Amino acid sequence: MQETNQPTRKVLCIEDEHFISELYARALSKGGYEVTVIADGSQALTEAETNAYDIILLDLMVPNLTGIEILRKLRDPARVPPIKAKILIITNLEQREDVRADIEKQADGYLVKAELTPHELVTFIDNIK
Amino acid sequence: MDYLQKLTQQAKLNLFVSLMVTNVTVIGLFFVALKLGNFNLYIVVGILIVISIIVSLIISSLLGKFLMQPLTALWQVVFHLTPEADSVTKPDIESLTFGKDLVSNLSGHIYQLISAADKASQESSAKAKELTLNFVAQNLPLPLFVLDAEETIRFANPAAADYIGIAVKDLIGKNVYMVLDMAFASEDTFDNWLKTVKTTAATASKAWERVRMDVRDNHPTLLFDLAAYYNRANPDGHETMMLLFDHTKQYSQDDQAISFVALSVHELRTPLTLLRGYIEVFQEELSGKLDPELQSFMEKMQAQAEQLMAFVNNILNVARVDDDQLELKLEKGDWPAILNLSIENLSLRAKVRGISLELSVTDGLPVVGVDQISIQEVINNLVDNAIKYSADSKVIKISSHLTNDGLVETTVQDFGRGIPTAVLPNLFTKFYRDHHNRSQVGGTGLGLYLSKAIITAHGGNLWVRSKEGEGSTFGFTLQPYDRLSQEAKASGDNEMVRGAHGWIKNHSLYRR
Repeated sequence: MQETNQPTRKVLCIEDEHFISELYARALSKGGYEVTVIADGSQALTEAETNAYDIILLDLMVPNLTGIEILRKLRDPARVPPIKAKILIITNLEQREDVRADIEKQADGYLVKAELTPHELVTFIDNIK
Repeated sequence: MDYLQKLTQQAKLNLFVSLMVTNVTVIGLFFVALKLGNFNLYIVVGILIVISIIVSLIISSLLGKFLMQPLTALWQVVFHLTPEADSVTKPDIESLTFGKDLVSNLSGHIYQLISAADKASQESSAKAKELTLNFVAQNLPLPLFVLDAEETIRFANPAAADYIGIAVKDLIGKNVYMVLDMAFASEDTFDNWLKTVKTTAATASKAWERVRMDVRDNHPTLLFDLAAYYNRANPDGHETMMLLFDHTKQYSQDDQAISFVALSVHELRTPLTLLRGYIEVFQEELSGKLDPELQSFMEKMQAQAEQLMAFVNNILNVARVDDDQLELKLEKGDWPAILNLSIENLSLRAKVRGISLELSVTDGLPVVGVDQISIQEVINNLVDNAIKYSADSKVIKISSHLTNDGLVETTVQDFGRGIPTAVLPNLFTKFYRDHHNRSQVGGTGLGLYLSKAIITAHGGNLWVRSKEGEGSTFGFTLQPYDRLSQEAKASGDNEMVRGAHGWIKNHSLYRR
C-alpha cells in the first residue's frame, strides 16, 4: 500500500475489455492509485507520450495500434526524453516463448490476466519501485 | 597423292618381280632339264608344275602379307580408337616396310577427325549441362545461396534476392552472416554446423526447421526451413549450398497460438478472469455483512470459479507439454513461503467441502530451484485430487521435509478411499482415471500427467503410495538450488531453463 506522504502514483490502463479495465481501475483506486483508462491504441500512445505516468498497464490486443507497437514506440531508444513509466504487459494471449521473451526485454513486467485477481495485481504494482 | 601413286608403283613392281621370279625359275629349270639328259618330258613338266605351285605359294604368301601391311595398320588405327575394341593395340607405323607414308598420313587424318568429333560432343554436353544448371538455379522458385570456403556468397538466385529484398548483385561477394541474420530454435545452428563439418567432413547435409530472419525494417520476420549441403572438395570453391523453404505464413500463425486448444482456452479464460474479479469485489465489499448461508454460497461460487480456472489452465499446460512448449524457469525459491501461499489459496476450495488443510514444514529447508507458477499447479493438482478423493474424511495433511539424499520432499496425504493397487502404475498417464471412481468423482485425468511432467522438469520425482480404504499419499521432491546450479554449470548451461521433456539448452527458444 502507498504511504501517505508519497505523491499519488498515476497508472495508465490501456485495455479495451471494458470489464477488465473496470475491475482493475476499481482495485487500483482502492489501492490509492490515480487511474486513467484508455481503450484505443493510438489514443493511448498519445496520452502516454503527453502525460507522465508511473505505471502503464498495456494490453497486447487493443484496437488501432497493437500493444506490441505501442511498446516499441514508447521504448524507442531514439525517444528524447525517454518515457519514465514502468510498462507492465497484461494479456491472456498465449505467446510463443520467443515472442514473450522479446516483449519482456522491452517491458518491465509480463502478467497473464488469468493468473491474478485485480487485488493481486494491485499487490504486484505496490511492490514495483 | 604422291604417296598413293608411289604405293601403286611399289605394288606393281612387287607383283611384276614375283611373277617374273616364278616364270624365270620354271622356264630355267625346264631348259636345264632338256639340256641335261633324256628325261621323260611328262615327268619334267609334272615336276615343274609342282615346283611352280610351291614357289607361287611361297611368294604369294610373303607378298600378300607385305601388301596387306598398310591395310592392317589402318584397321588397327581405327579399331584402336573405337572404345569397344580395347584389346586392339596401337600400330607401330614407323616399323612398316610398305605403305608407311600412306598409313601415317591417313591415320593422322583419322586421329584429327576423331578428336574433333570428340571435342564437339564434349563441348555441346558441357554447354547443355551449363544451360540446365543455369536454368535450374535461375528459375528455382526457392531462395538459393552458394557460399565459398570463406562463407562469402558466390551465387544467389533471383528467388533469393526477392525473398530477402536485396538485389543479386548486392549479395554476391558479401559474407553470408552479414546478409542473412538467422536465428535458430536451438544451439544447433547453421554456423555451428558449418564450423563442425569444415573440420570433420568432406561432404555433409542438414536441415533446420523454424529458422527466423529479420531482413529489413517494417517487414515481418521471415520464418522458414533451411537445408544446407557442404562439399569441401568442390574444385571451383563453391563449398556450401543453402536452400530456403518459406513458411512465414504458416509458422507465424503457429506463433499466434499454440493450437486450437490454446485459442479455446484463451476464450474460456477471459470470462473466467472477469468472473473471479467480480466475485473478489463482492468478497471485499460484502464479507461479514451477509448471513452465514449467503456467505458460504459466495465462497462456494468463488471456489468453483477457481477450480474451473485451474482446470482450464491444466488443459493449456498439457497442450504445451505435448507441443514441447512448456518451459520452466528455475529460480531460487523459499519453499515454505511458496507452499504456504499455495495452500492458503486452496483452503477456500477445501473449506467449501468441509475439509481442512493441515500444513507442517520442518525448519531449515534449503532454498529450492523452482518455477513458481508451475509448482503451484502441481500443488493445486495434488491437493485438488486429495479433496476429490477424500470421501468422508475431513482432513488433508501437507508436509515438507528434507530427505536423506538432501532433497526437499513434499507430501499430500488424504484419508479417503485410496487407489487400488492394480491401477497405481497407470496413474500418471494422460487421461487415466480410476475406473471404479469415474462415476463418482469429476476430473480430467490431466492433472497427474501434467504434475509428473512439471516435477520431472524440476529434476525431481513424483510418487504415490496408496492403500484402498485408507487413503493416498502423493509426494514429490525438489532439488536444492545450489545443487541444480552446479549441475547446470557442469553441463555448460548458465541459465536454468528446462522443458517439460528435459533440458532446453538455451534460455530463449530462439537464440543466435
